[in-house]
Amino acid sequence: MHNFEYHRPTSVADAVQSLKGAEDGKILAGGMTLIPTLKQRLAAPSDLIDLGAIAELKGIKDEGGMITIGAATPHAMVAESEVVRRVIPALADLAEGIGDPQVRNRGTIGGSIANSDPAADYPAALVGLDATVQTDRRRIKADDFFKGLFETALEEDEIVTAVSFPKPEKACYAKFPNPASRYAMVGVMVARAGGAVRVAVTGAGPCVFRLPEMEQALSGNFSPDAIKGIEISADGLNSDIHGSAAYRAHLVSVMARRAVTDCA
Amino acid sequence: MTEAFDIDTSDLPELAFTVNGRLVTLRVPPVRRLSDVLREELGLTGTKVGCNAGDCGACTVRIDGRQICACLTPVGQAAGRAVESVEGLARDNRINRLQAAFHRFGAAQCGICTPGMLMAASDLLAHTSHPDRQQVEDALGGVLCRCTGYRKIVEAVLHTADPELEFLVPETGRAVGAPVAKTDGLAKLTGTERYGADSAPADALWLRAVRSPHGRARFRVGDLEALRRAWPGLAAVLTAAEVPVNGFGIYPDIKDQPALADGIVRYRGEAVLALVGDAETIETLPDDAVPIEWEPLPPIGFDQARAGGAPALHEAVPDNVLVRGRVVKGDVEQAFAGAAATAEIAVETSFVEHAYIEPEAGYARRVGDRIEVVACTQTPYMDRDEIAHVLGIPRDRVRIVPTAVGGGFGGKLDLSLQPLIAVAAWTLNRPVRCIYARPESMASTTKRHPAQIRARAAADAEGRLLGFDFAGDFNTGAYASWGPTVANRVPVHCTGPYHVPQVRALTRALYTNDPPAGAFRGFGVPQAAIAHEALMDDLAARLDIDPLEFRWINALRVGQPTATGQVLQASCGLAACLEALRPRWQTARAAAEAANRAGGIECRGVGVGCMWYGIGNTSLSNPSTMRVGLKPNGRITLYNGAVDIGQGSNTIMVQIAADALGVPMERFDLIMGDTDLTEDAGKTSASRQTFVSGKAAEQAGAALRAELLRRLNAGEDAELVLEQGRVQARDAAGARMLDLAALPVDERGDVLSATGSFDPPTTPLDADGQGVPYASYGFAAQMAEVAVDLELGTVKVLRIVAAHDVGRAINPIQVEGQIHGGVAQGLGLALMEEYVPGRTENLHDYLIPTFGDVPDIECILIEDREPLGPYGAKGIGEPALIPTAPAILNAIHHATGVRITHVPATPDRVLAALQAHGIAR
Repeated sequence: MHNFEYHRPTSVADAVQSLKGAEDGKILAGGMTLIPTLKQRLAAPSDLIDLGAIAELKGIKDEGGMITIGAATPHAMVAESEVVRRVIPALADLAEGIGDPQVRNRGTIGGSIANSDPAADYPAALVGLDATVQTDRRRIKADDFFKGLFETALEEDEIVTAVSFPKPEKACYAKFPNPASRYAMVGVMVARAGGAVRVAVTGAGPCVFRLPEMEQALSGNFSPDAIKGIEISADGLNSDIHGSAAYRAHLVSVMARRAVTDCA
Repeated sequence: MTEAFDIDTSDLPELAFTVNGRLVTLRVPPVRRLSDVLREELGLTGTKVGCNAGDCGACTVRIDGRQICACLTPVGQAAGRAVESVEGLARDNRINRLQAAFHRFGAAQCGICTPGMLMAASDLLAHTSHPDRQQVEDALGGVLCRCTGYRKIVEAVLHTADPELEFLVPETGRAVGAPVAKTDGLAKLTGTERYGADSAPADALWLRAVRSPHGRARFRVGDLEALRRAWPGLAAVLTAAEVPVNGFGIYPDIKDQPALADGIVRYRGEAVLALVGDAETIETLPDDAVPIEWEPLPPIGFDQARAGGAPALHEAVPDNVLVRGRVVKGDVEQAFAGAAATAEIAVETSFVEHAYIEPEAGYARRVGDRIEVVACTQTPYMDRDEIAHVLGIPRDRVRIVPTAVGGGFGGKLDLSLQPLIAVAAWTLNRPVRCIYARPESMASTTKRHPAQIRARAAADAEGRLLGFDFAGDFNTGAYASWGPTVANRVPVHCTGPYHVPQVRALTRALYTNDPPAGAFRGFGVPQAAIAHEALMDDLAARLDIDPLEFRWINALRVGQPTATGQVLQASCGLAACLEALRPRWQTARAAAEAANRAGGIECRGVGVGCMWYGIGNTSLSNPSTMRVGLKPNGRITLYNGAVDIGQGSNTIMVQIAADALGVPMERFDLIMGDTDLTEDAGKTSASRQTFVSGKAAEQAGAALRAELLRRLNAGEDAELVLEQGRVQARDAAGARMLDLAALPVDERGDVLSATGSFDPPTTPLDADGQGVPYASYGFAAQMAEVAVDLELGTVKVLRIVAAHDVGRAINPIQVEGQIHGGVAQGLGLALMEEYVPGRTENLHDYLIPTFGDVPDIECILIEDREPLGPYGAKGIGEPALIPTAPAILNAIHHATGVRITHVPATPDRVLAALQAHGIAR
């Protein structure tokens, strides 16, 4: 039976205290994933810690070429932010393409990345743009944050507070969405910063991953032709009724090329 | 269903927020869904729950102006904020401009998605007063609609700022043919319409079925007494033993489906037990606490059933062949021997889910020695007979009261929860309610039959069809349902709407351990149309004839015999449909071919698809009776046994009856479907209500008019004026008066009433399927323009032109609405919809078209009057869907040269086909 203790802290410190004190605490952010999970009884936490009343977790800051987004900032706010649009348009585009308006109005960047859904868009943004995750106790590079299927580097009682994105020279996100949920069947973020290129793929595997071969090729020649010949192996890629692993491997190539093309 | 939490509410903090401007304070668990709190605590049932998973958007409300899914929002997060629901849109009993635009442009059909659409649009319009089309589609993109094809919703939102939003009020005698707004539209737009889940007696118990996780298994039920002791909130646990007559089915002689499985289950999702009790118990009792011992068996699939030799699903049917259909005319082999061109094809189609946004819901209660079932349904009179059969009582002791229906499309033609709640209410003598969860609805109810079809066709050098040879197997799943209807309808239609001298058409419906396949908009004809329309294109190509002209040459015309030897006498408008398409076709084909000469990764194509469809039951009596009554206050009641499932019969019937009676529509009140109060108008299926019940409504109206004129001693052309307490007749001879207060009232409260009945004239089919299966046929030709991405395999439908011979459009806006919705479902059949048991039992894995998928649709209405129909009308519901998938598939072929024969043509399938032909990029 559902029998939760419900907490609505007003500071991060209080939220962490509640989480530490709980036998099996779960954080409630936008509820996009947690609420259906509770309904299906896939989770039966002892305590729910609702982050909705913590003002410090919400908002977008431009810190000299570095965009910092509070963990409880909904996708719609990122999509509509003039600052994000000016500094990292690819990030605004990505947020604008998440789910539908109802999801964008409720779902948060912190909730998305802490969940590490294999088909979520934000992981590609974080890894592709070389972002840093801030938590209540430390800073984690995006490359070290995503560990696997629904798995992150977060400790049990650790709360994401913000994500900081450095400004790239160029970046574009190309996604093949699931036609219903608009989750990424394959989404590729291609970004160039300081001479280095990152190619981050979400939706295709159990967790966001980079494509070093493409990154190297693009570092020398930032054009779609540079990566045209690179074969993507279907091994280990997701396979479901919407697309086989082979089809997803194909999509990775096409979406990466389209992202590069869009950067031009 | 109310979510129950094991929390003493007195300990709960008080939550305060505003709803539609009114301050609300509540003590409820903060993690309870806002949708539940609005519906159950505040009685605001205008907010609908279609999936409870954030997929369908029916529960969309606004919080601080922003649209959100109320089903994913814990009510604690609404604290201190402003919630707006559909009930807050109208002010001082006046609908707002957005609602008025929806009403004016026919944007609501069944209405179940309408509150969500309105709230999403309200969010948009609050910051963008003159949005463009893309902005509308983006803003409303999170709400699914299964009826409208979205186009009229977009049109309505775009026109919200129009200075004039007048509603047409037709003059007396001019209702037929007028695009009047729905008679039940305002209820749907204000959130006051009551669907299956929206009402129940306060003391009703809840019921939830425990369902099989296996496709085929034996099972044994364990100690239910122990379960009862562990869960004191249980009032009963029903098993097969508690069902008086445990078999139902739509055919009188095939009652093969149990209400509760008896020792063996035949498909995943089949009901095994029914838990009845208080809301909290029924919500929280987990399935795995119920003592059932399973012995899974290898399920029998379609291929195995086709091959023969598989274990029998039902003892009475050892070869698993439920039924065979056969139409044979002439000698088809001879036709092929002498042909200038032949073509053949093998087609495979998938299970398709109706995906109405309203899951099955309702309640039953025992009233003395009678049972009343209040639920969403397409067929109250068949439900009445089936419930009587299951309870083992005479049918006059069963009353069915249909609620508003949030979409049906054939899926609510079979019993679903009705026998369960009826048995529970009957045995417990307590009201019992049930609402299917979305996955339960998808797993347990009927689907479109998957088909395996082989067909070939032959033509002479001038392009005249000589012969058609068709063999189709249909996966009918675990129980008969409408399988015989499919197997018998397909052979009649499988040549397509063409004159073919020699025909052989053989079908089988096969039992498998899949979900029961039943009725779904078209009864197998859409699957067959994919085959015949591919063959028409292939023959045309072989003979170097334009595909549209090839069809025009062969189009059935008055005086020609069909495959069953029926010589059509009238209303045969396919050639006219093709002629209407011709200029658009020529322009579009040339434009696509020109665009493709430039190369590129996107390829354009234009295809055509044709169809015909027999209106009403196949060679079976399907009568309808309608009654109109006159009250002493001068108002007319239409006792309308036809259920409106969103298609608009509540409006059509009033238009027809009003003109037949010669009074304005606004004099009418309507009673829909209540089996105690209406006459039997048959099922809302087979595109029959406008044609059959409409004719009955015309005759009823005409009969009451004749009676009034007789009593008033007035001539046939007299004008009738209904007033409080009296009727006036005015003609050249002057005015005469009938005092209604002086007349005795009958048991309905009417002083005068009249009925009309119509049963379309058909004959039985002989052993070779020869005879007159239908009294009338609808005809159509649709044209699809597509763009195929050669890198991704995606197909984007750019435009549909739909030319339909509807006999007469009683209400053009509703006819267009049917075409739009049919096109959207046909597009889904062609490109995205595939139900896989256990894997797509929700609305994010099962794909239905959304705003961005449905293109502009141009409707061309051909009105080749049907002499038997009311004012010349025939049906449109199913015809709208049938040509779309063939047109799209033919357009893909035109674009790429590749013929897709396995639908849906998903991107991975299309890409694989392109790769196999060496044209993928």
